[in-house]
Amino acid sequence: MINFDNTVPVKLKGAGGGLWITIDPSHPESEIIAEIDRLLKKLKHLAINADVILDVGDADGQEELVGRIKSHLENDFELGTISTTPKKRSIPTERRRQRDLSKGWNHHKSDVLMLRGRVRSGQKINARKHLVITGDVNPGAELTAGGDVLVLGTLAGEVHAGYPENDGAMIFSLAFNPSLVTIGLITAIGAGEPGTQGPEFACVEQGSIVVKNYMKENPFKRMPWPEVI
Amino acid sequence: MEGKIIVVTSGKGGVGKTTATSSIGAALALEGKRVAIVDMDIGLRNLDVVMGLENRIVFNIVDVVQGKCKIDQAAIRDRRIDNLFLIPASQSDNKDVLTPAGVERVANELRKKFDYVIMDSPAGIERGFENSIAGANEAVVICTPDVSAVRDADRVIGLLYARSLEPKLIVNRIEPARVARGEMLSHEDVLDILSIELAGLVPMDEKVLISSNTGTPLVLQNDSFAGQAFRRIAKRLNGEDVPIEEPNRKTSVWSKLSKTFGLR
Repeated sequence: MINFDNTVPVKLKGAGGGLWITIDPSHPESEIIAEIDRLLKKLKHLAINADVILDVGDADGQEELVGRIKSHLENDFELGTISTTPKKRSIPTERRRQRDLSKGWNHHKSDVLMLRGRVRSGQKINARKHLVITGDVNPGAELTAGGDVLVLGTLAGEVHAGYPENDGAMIFSLAFNPSLVTIGLITAIGAGEPGTQGPEFACVEQGSIVVKNYMKENPFKRMPWPEVI
Repeated sequence: MEGKIIVVTSGKGGVGKTTATSSIGAALALEGKRVAIVDMDIGLRNLDVVMGLENRIVFNIVDVVQGKCKIDQAAIRDRRIDNLFLIPASQSDNKDVLTPAGVERVANELRKKFDYVIMDSPAGIERGFENSIAGANEAVVICTPDVSAVRDADRVIGLLYARSLEPKLIVNRIEPARVARGEMLSHEDVLDILSIELAGLVPMDEKVLISSNTGTPLVLQNDSFAGQAFRRIAKRLNGEDVPIEEPNRKTSVWSKLSKTFGLR
């Protein structure tokens, strides 16, 4: 039987022309150093002048431990440069937009579920993130999405956006007439008849669900740039 | 050439499935086709009463599926239309005695013996419904212009699509005067929601009640508007190109005058 609790304190693997040493800081320092010694001695001459990267994973506040291990390695072994894991660089917004413009968002993967057709009574649709339906949603149909719900047609069924508790989600449709609306943890019963003519959207404002005319209060107009969702 | 099996279904009870089954069956028989109408509402036998054949039942569809008799023994010939046969339901069993596989086997035999087999499905979407659609080639959904019937019809349409049957719609019991007054959904409203091919529109007709109670097929009554509508539906199901006729919205003299003078 595999014991998942008993992890090794040090893992060693080759990385390019050097070595990548992964350290589990939950183990005692003496145990970690003893294991590093054992592994490097096993490598014998292969470790000489090798560039080493010390990796403590996501654990913060381990700078002192890393420093001590680094000085131990410098004193006891003939290694090349010893460094810690490089930090991931975040791409500036401007550069990301230039990339988006030239590559057409090809590099992005999306969780959006897009369906075409009529959702009938008794049908249930669950989307992990956003849900887009190009068609009508009939009374008795149920939609649930982790993000926004966009219906390019009449929305007359039950709809839950922002499941389970994202109050920032919205529900949009060209003809807004749902029987039950839930956004995050807030629920409202439908009006029973279509509101104003034209596209509308529901969102949460001051703890309650409000329905607004899309042409007058476009929820997206504050966004200056198309972003992958 | 093998015949077609058409299931008449609705989801909701009391929308006119049995009337539609008997009327379409009789109308197709009048067109010269050899037709069997099968009552699949096991436990609640009605079609034989509507057809006026309740005193001639010996075997039923359960007996056929269970191999206790042959199709020819269970099929009762209609008194007035030679090409029309009824296979009744059992009144003492429940719908769980049949299985979709058993019904499908019998359906394949029926297809060889008749040009058209019209199956009268029970209300609901449980075992009885599954049995009824097991061997069907086509489906007709009956819906009255009220919200609950439309909701149930929508559910049934979804289930039929899931089984690769593309149903046609009959909107039954349309009352043009009430539609005009805004008291009833119009057939356009129903079609907006259900969005499937229309097989026909049937107006409300008091003669349906007389027909059911006397066991006379509706289509044999020439003065019945509903009967005429079902005859047109039967022609369409038979592949003829008959235009859809909207039920007349009869207006009174006073309302015509008011409209003319711009009072309404």
